[in-house]
Amino acid sequence: MNLTAMTRLLAESEPVVRLTPQARILAAVLAIAFMLLILDLIRRDKLLERYSIVWFLLGIGMLLGAIFPVALEWLAKAMGVRDVTIALFSVTLLILLALSLNFSVIASRQSKQITRLAQQSAIDGVEEQTEEVEGRDR
Amino acid sequence: MKKLVFIPAWNEENSIEAVISDAREHVPGADIMVVDDGSTDRTAALARRAGALVASLPFNQGVGAAHQTAYIFALRHGYEICGQLDGDGQHPASEVARLIEEVEKGADLAVGSRFAGNVNPDIPEYRSTFARRIGQRMFSLLVSTSTRQTFTDTTSGMRALNEKAMHLFADRYSSEFAEVESLQQAVRAGLVVKEVPVHMLAREHGRSFIGPLTSAYYIFKTLIVLLIGQLRPRQVEE
Repeated sequence: MNLTAMTRLLAESEPVVRLTPQARILAAVLAIAFMLLILDLIRRDKLLERYSIVWFLLGIGMLLGAIFPVALEWLAKAMGVRDVTIALFSVTLLILLALSLNFSVIASRQSKQITRLAQQSAIDGVEEQTEEVEGRDR
Repeated sequence: MKKLVFIPAWNEENSIEAVISDAREHVPGADIMVVDDGSTDRTAALARRAGALVASLPFNQGVGAAHQTAYIFALRHGYEICGQLDGDGQHPASEVARLIEEVEKGADLAVGSRFAGNVNPDIPEYRSTFARRIGQRMFSLLVSTSTRQTFTDTTSGMRALNEKAMHLFADRYSSEFAEVESLQQAVRAGLVVKEVPVHMLAREHGRSFIGPLTSAYYIFKTLIVLLIGQLRPRQVEE
């Protein structure tokens, strides 16, 4: 490949690799199934609404991407990536990374809360004990 | 002064009674409390029978949470000084009494050191493995550097502290690296921290297995913990 060809390739701003119709149908079906799963989890009290919203938004995003491929192409163009699938992968990875970090923060907070609860219960136990001793002395 | 001597204990049924009576003998007038950190043996029952107060954590939470339980309790019940010693019998209560004296004389936190008072620091009278000694040295170096104050026994759980220090630790206390990090925390908050040479005994029961790899891992972890500690906002008491 000579220099001119490379320059022409670099200058190419339109994404060249697009999603195939099959891939779009599959994505749409998966997105709908995913959202139904979320709804079912909420319905059966397996998932708090608080944590479901973000997953639901993700499902909607997936569906929109499948229905309007232009959005994905615009995204790829904005990122300077010529392959729509790569843009999709990168964005998905980033979202998952942010979500799992968010869950680590939640887990840390809950572990701190559990410790406080355990300490409070231990202290309650001592107070009961001292009341008993005082009762006996009286 | 209202004093509390507490003993963090996790499955120490073999030694807990002796530690309680030792504490009662050498720190007269203090209330004695065992913080039972989710023991599955008879530690809590024996401690109660020996007449100590018993704070039982419902599950094992680590030594930091156990210490903090005692500080919260002490503050709520108006104790002015807390002394603490391990439940395995390594800490003679007579030495804890000396630490309490240091706090009465004006230190906010007094820490017993096995290595501070030896004539020859290369031969600690306290028996220890080579890996542990190297680890101890590294901890000391790290903590002393970060606090600009010399500490020779950073993992010592034999301590005495006043309300000011209890407030600091009740607010935030490391759950994993309680002893090491709390020194840095106290110095940074401007507390008067005093290291006192003490005598400790070899373990009566049980052994802790700390090999070279674990040591290296601890050192690395301590380094990270202390670096983050340097970046934390200072807690200021009063």
